[in-house]
Amino acid sequence: MIQVRLPPDATLGDALRLLGLSDDDADAGFGLVPVAPGRHVLRVTDEAARRVSHELAEVFADPRIEPDDSS
Amino acid sequence: MRVMIQLRPAPDVVASVMDTGAASAAGDVAGDLPGVAIDEAFEPVAVPRPVSLSPYQRMQFSMAPEDASVLVRGEIADGDLATRSALLTSSVREVAGVFADPHIQPHPVCGGDGPVGDWQEVRRLLHAEELWSAGHDGEGVTVAIVDGGVNADHVAARIGHEVTLDAQRSWSPPGVPARPGRHPVDHGTMCAFDVLLAAPKATLLDIPVLLSRREGGSLADGLLSDALAAYAHLDRVLRAMPAESRALVVSNSWGLFSPDMDFPPGHPGNYSDNPAHPFNVIVGSLEGTGADILFSAGNCGRECPDGRCGYPDRTIVGANSHPAVLSVGGVDTRGERVGYSSQGPGRLSERKPDLCAYTHFAGSGAVGPADTGTSASCPVAAGVVAAVRTRRSAADLSPAQLRTLLHRTADDRSTVGFDYDYGFGVIDPPAVLAALARQNRTRAA
Repeated sequence: MIQVRLPPDATLGDALRLLGLSDDDADAGFGLVPVAPGRHVLRVTDEAARRVSHELAEVFADPRIEPDDSS
Repeated sequence: MRVMIQLRPAPDVVASVMDTGAASAAGDVAGDLPGVAIDEAFEPVAVPRPVSLSPYQRMQFSMAPEDASVLVRGEIADGDLATRSALLTSSVREVAGVFADPHIQPHPVCGGDGPVGDWQEVRRLLHAEELWSAGHDGEGVTVAIVDGGVNADHVAARIGHEVTLDAQRSWSPPGVPARPGRHPVDHGTMCAFDVLLAAPKATLLDIPVLLSRREGGSLADGLLSDALAAYAHLDRVLRAMPAESRALVVSNSWGLFSPDMDFPPGHPGNYSDNPAHPFNVIVGSLEGTGADILFSAGNCGRECPDGRCGYPDRTIVGANSHPAVLSVGGVDTRGERVGYSSQGPGRLSERKPDLCAYTHFAGSGAVGPADTGTSASCPVAAGVVAAVRTRRSAADLSPAQLRTLLHRTADDRSTVGFDYDYGFGVIDPPAVLAALARQNRTRAA
């Protein structure tokens, strides 16, 4: 997942334009998720994450999570 | 140090120890052993002598008074131990040996073990009736089950009363069919059942993030980004509540087992150790808005870790160790920590787990004979939090204040105060009620 700084009412399209990415690079179903004032997260392909400028976006791990049942 | 001392007294003394009709005093058998405080409460025990007639025969033992020895129990000062032991065996003819008498403990409950107690017993241990009669039954409190989907019919049939589930405010990740409360019976159903043990009238939200099917995922896992999107939804749910009566409890029985899919600690994109990771940020933000967030501590306890555990140490990772959440370890219904319950310190916050709640009991019937793991103890604690919230909104008692109250009132286990096995102790609803009553009296005065 990558984090961008955009105004509170920004859309996924705004984020993709800022980062120079196409619609195919991002998960449209996930969209643009607000995390904190001015900070949003979108889910992109590994390849797109490598392409984006680190000055415009921060790349974060999106690890698999699992239930804490005992086995 | 406590020791066992093996003595070879005269045969008539050994015979009197073996005589079940006559009680022997340790002092009479041992006499005065210099430097040893004999434990008079411990009745001397006769021990047979191994005798071999030939190296080709099976070992045999003799309890004849002239062969057998006698064990007594005592204590030697730690500083004197080596010298005193050597002196005893060399200078006191009757002393045949000095042996350690270490503290022994029952083997803790592990993953494959059968249930310990049942859900009715958990309700008794939580003093649920007492909570309810004081008006703390969860009515009007929303509890989000962030897990693998809830089957409300199963929960209702099992627990024996109606279950309130709000489909409108429930949420599913993209790609997961929205059928709140109608998912297959599994882990999320167990969590819902366990919440209702203390808070039967709570309103459940079904947030099945673990059902997300992304490339490479198994049947019961999701991606952290799905949980992030769920928290953004819960933020909207919470903000839609009137500020003066906000009451949202978020129960999370999941976590990250292995560092394989994470950036290493120190990398700016890391999750496990990084408070700046977006999920850790949104957890702090949601708590700041008034949500009580609970996470399972994890199942990587030293005695019997889950096979998936990949962290060599500090196994409470990421949001499960967030300073703004309640990290919940597990104890069985005897109050003993289960061997798989992860121990602190945590990675984002050192003093983890916060406390323990009950697990490994026959409960929901949703996942097998027992509701196990810190997966079960987390929603049990979430139910207690929801019960407290019935009469105290987040405006009245902030999530941080409530965590402090739970710490302060927990039934302390192990060492005095906080420890990395039990946190502050086992959650103790009557003590919470008493503390709240004291607060009310102070306010009224």
